[in-house]
Amino acid sequence: MDQFLQQLVNGLSIGSIYALMAVGYSLVYSIMNFSNFAHGSVIMLGAYFGFFALTSFGMPFTVAFFVAFFGSAAVAVLLERLAYKPLRDRRAPFLYFIITAMGASIFIDNSVIATIGPTPKTFPTDLLPAFLQGDPLEWGALSVGRIDIAIFVVAVISLALLILFIDFTKLGKAIQATAYNMKASALMGINPNFVIILVFAIGGGLAGIAGVLYGMKYQVFPQMSAITLKSFIAAVFGGLGSLQGALLGSLLLALIETFVSGYLSTQYRDLFAFLILIAMLVVRPSGIMGKVAEDKA
Amino acid sequence: MDYIQGIAVLIGINLIAVLGLSILTGFTGLFSFGHGGFMAIGAYVSAIVSSRLDLPHPIAFPLAILAGALSAALISVFIGKLTLNLKGDYFCIATMGFGEAVRIILNNVNYVGGARGWANLPQFTTWWIVLGLCIVCVVVTWNLINSRQGRNLVAVREEELAAQMAGVDVFRSKMVALIVSAALAGIAGALMANYIQFLRPTMFNMAKSTDLTIMVIFGGLGSISGTIAGTILLVSLPEVFRNFAQWRLVIYGLAVIVIMVGRPQGIMGGVELTPSGIRKIFAARRAKAKLDAELKAAEQGEVA
Amino acid sequence: MNEALPLLELEGLTKRFGGLAAVNNVSFKVQEGSISGLIGPNGAGKTTIFNLITGVYKVTEGRILFQGKPIHDQEPYKIACGGVTRTFQNIRLFKNLSVFDNVYTACHRSAHYNLFESVFRLPNYWKEEKILKEKARSLLAIMGLEDRQDINANNLPYGLQRRLEITRALALDPKLLLLDEPAAGMNPDETEHLMKIIGEVRRMFNLSVLVIEHHMDLIMGICNHIHVLNFGCTLADGTAESVANDPKVVEAYLGAEEETK
Repeated sequence: MDQFLQQLVNGLSIGSIYALMAVGYSLVYSIMNFSNFAHGSVIMLGAYFGFFALTSFGMPFTVAFFVAFFGSAAVAVLLERLAYKPLRDRRAPFLYFIITAMGASIFIDNSVIATIGPTPKTFPTDLLPAFLQGDPLEWGALSVGRIDIAIFVVAVISLALLILFIDFTKLGKAIQATAYNMKASALMGINPNFVIILVFAIGGGLAGIAGVLYGMKYQVFPQMSAITLKSFIAAVFGGLGSLQGALLGSLLLALIETFVSGYLSTQYRDLFAFLILIAMLVVRPSGIMGKVAEDKA
Repeated sequence: MDYIQGIAVLIGINLIAVLGLSILTGFTGLFSFGHGGFMAIGAYVSAIVSSRLDLPHPIAFPLAILAGALSAALISVFIGKLTLNLKGDYFCIATMGFGEAVRIILNNVNYVGGARGWANLPQFTTWWIVLGLCIVCVVVTWNLINSRQGRNLVAVREEELAAQMAGVDVFRSKMVALIVSAALAGIAGALMANYIQFLRPTMFNMAKSTDLTIMVIFGGLGSISGTIAGTILLVSLPEVFRNFAQWRLVIYGLAVIVIMVGRPQGIMGGVELTPSGIRKIFAARRAKAKLDAELKAAEQGEVA
Repeated sequence: MNEALPLLELEGLTKRFGGLAAVNNVSFKVQEGSISGLIGPNGAGKTTIFNLITGVYKVTEGRILFQGKPIHDQEPYKIACGGVTRTFQNIRLFKNLSVFDNVYTACHRSAHYNLFESVFRLPNYWKEEKILKEKARSLLAIMGLEDRQDINANNLPYGLQRRLEITRALALDPKLLLLDEPAAGMNPDETEHLMKIIGEVRRMFNLSVLVIEHHMDLIMGICNHIHVLNFGCTLADGTAESVANDPKVVEAYLGAEEETK
């Protein structure tokens, strides 16, 4: 039982990170009906933004998070404006968007390698707030790392703010309307361009926070953009386009991974993510919470 | 001379894989993040057949290549059946996952060397074999594209719904493209294993997959001669820019964006560098000029 | 009109998207050799019915019979191969291909050589490719597009694009041709010309036509039989005259008659 609880706790931590990434991805998908395959690079940049804010610029810990959020949001919006919008304007086929996303992520990832360098960076513990330094907290046989607690807390706060924003603010409702039907909302006076920018910004910002948290838990390195695959799988698992689905999928994915890792072997942990994907595609491609909808011709 | 031949072999090996991706992405419009995985399957199966099984010399290599290609093709059937009936995003995500899964599995199988790699594989690949197979693959690709099956692939790329309404079995067409591209990647992997004589799973990660796709894009989607040109260019370029190795990929990434936004046709502009291909362009220009002239005359006739 | 087996029959066809019934219990028949019209205000469900017939949408309730056999659970490409082809409201040509290639591609059903024969260029390939090329050429000639055949489809003027779409739809030797607003954006002269083409095509290729249109002169001019839709339900069904004089139809299109002072 103790093993079980321990794995549960570990799973929640990594699940929180997945959730932030997956929700960011799903948000853009639900509006644009399109997968931003450069999402991973935004996550990675967020980690670097947070890292340098904390170390080179000596900013306080919470400010570093804001820097990561806004920095990544800005990158995501830039990506949208410079790479995706021109394609959207000329109604380019779906394929062009994916290729451009691939190009953008290659560009960003290798720019970081060429400038900052490929060696991983670790968040120096002495720059972290006092309560994050020190030994893991213990409750009986349960051992919870302080950083894991921070990850969970930050994720919960961020996602709660997101939900409040989407459900209760005017802008949030505008996003919902546009996700439902872009043309109709435009006719109702909602500027689709603005909603698109907003959604990329929020998605990017969440990705940035996820990056910092991931960097704190493990390390910051250019190839960490590959983690985005987990967010795609989580989103498909929960149901593409559904935010609750992204949340649920992330938690379940992380828990399954952690249990496999704990009870079977760490080597095959990432492989299980792929197996879950395959299983979903076989059994229920629309995901746990997805609607089995048809495309309108 | 050896140095140039070495590059030529690498060009040849890559070309075979890139031809497959050209069929899949350039002509059918499907994007794969994981073709490195198919190359890996071809490479490792070939390595097993050529070095672990004690087969007589003349048939060992051809058998190895065949085994590599077939294994890759078979697995691609599995991936295709699951995802090609769904929206495009699913196929992309599945190929991404697939590439990673292959790498992880290979990392953990000690029989094939695991993460540390597998060295001392037999040197079977020669320049002549690569050249021969290249020619065969180019001809096969060309014959496929210039047939009703090939035209159906392009129809799927252009307007999937209209293609269905024109009686094209879209799912089957996509499967054909996927299987052929996987088989070609498998062949390339097999050749590579027995040329470099060393295999390591990281050689086939997503960077390899995207490298291959970039070659298709630079050459131009929908042009076989473009694919050949793009591959020659991008495989020889790193040698030229050895000093700026780190920035090579930065420039490629930027170039891809610029190409897609500015000139998706790539180097060749969707055109084939063949007599018929060139004739086509001139015919198109002539016909357009004629049409414009007629329209103008009609307008002026109305005004008069 | 002989009451033989109808070429196409819709029986109690219903299509629901979530809670909304886009098509509600619609039934009608298309007789062989006829030109039928499907009309109604925007949003009445006309294109949805086309999508149901061609298998793009799955039927919620009801049946669709083609030549007496149910087709509503067939794959779209099978339905097309079985003899039902269409054009689209928003033109869906293969834009980056030439005019010739658009039709040439669609001719694929007239050849039967398989992948193996393609790759190894066996005799069947050469023999049948010649047949295909000839077929595409003759279709283009009949439709007056022969000297435009090398132009890229997206460089064609609008009217010719619509004509090309019809030509492409003919490449499959259909028995039933579905035209979705073929006269959209055309002036009266072009519409007149289109009417003639539709009539000739029907005669020459011995097929039946079902047209969605808003241009009343085209509908009244060539249709033997008209089915009127409103909000997904049948409003009227009959000959051109009976429909034109049906008060319900007049009301739906023009609003109720105003009291004259």
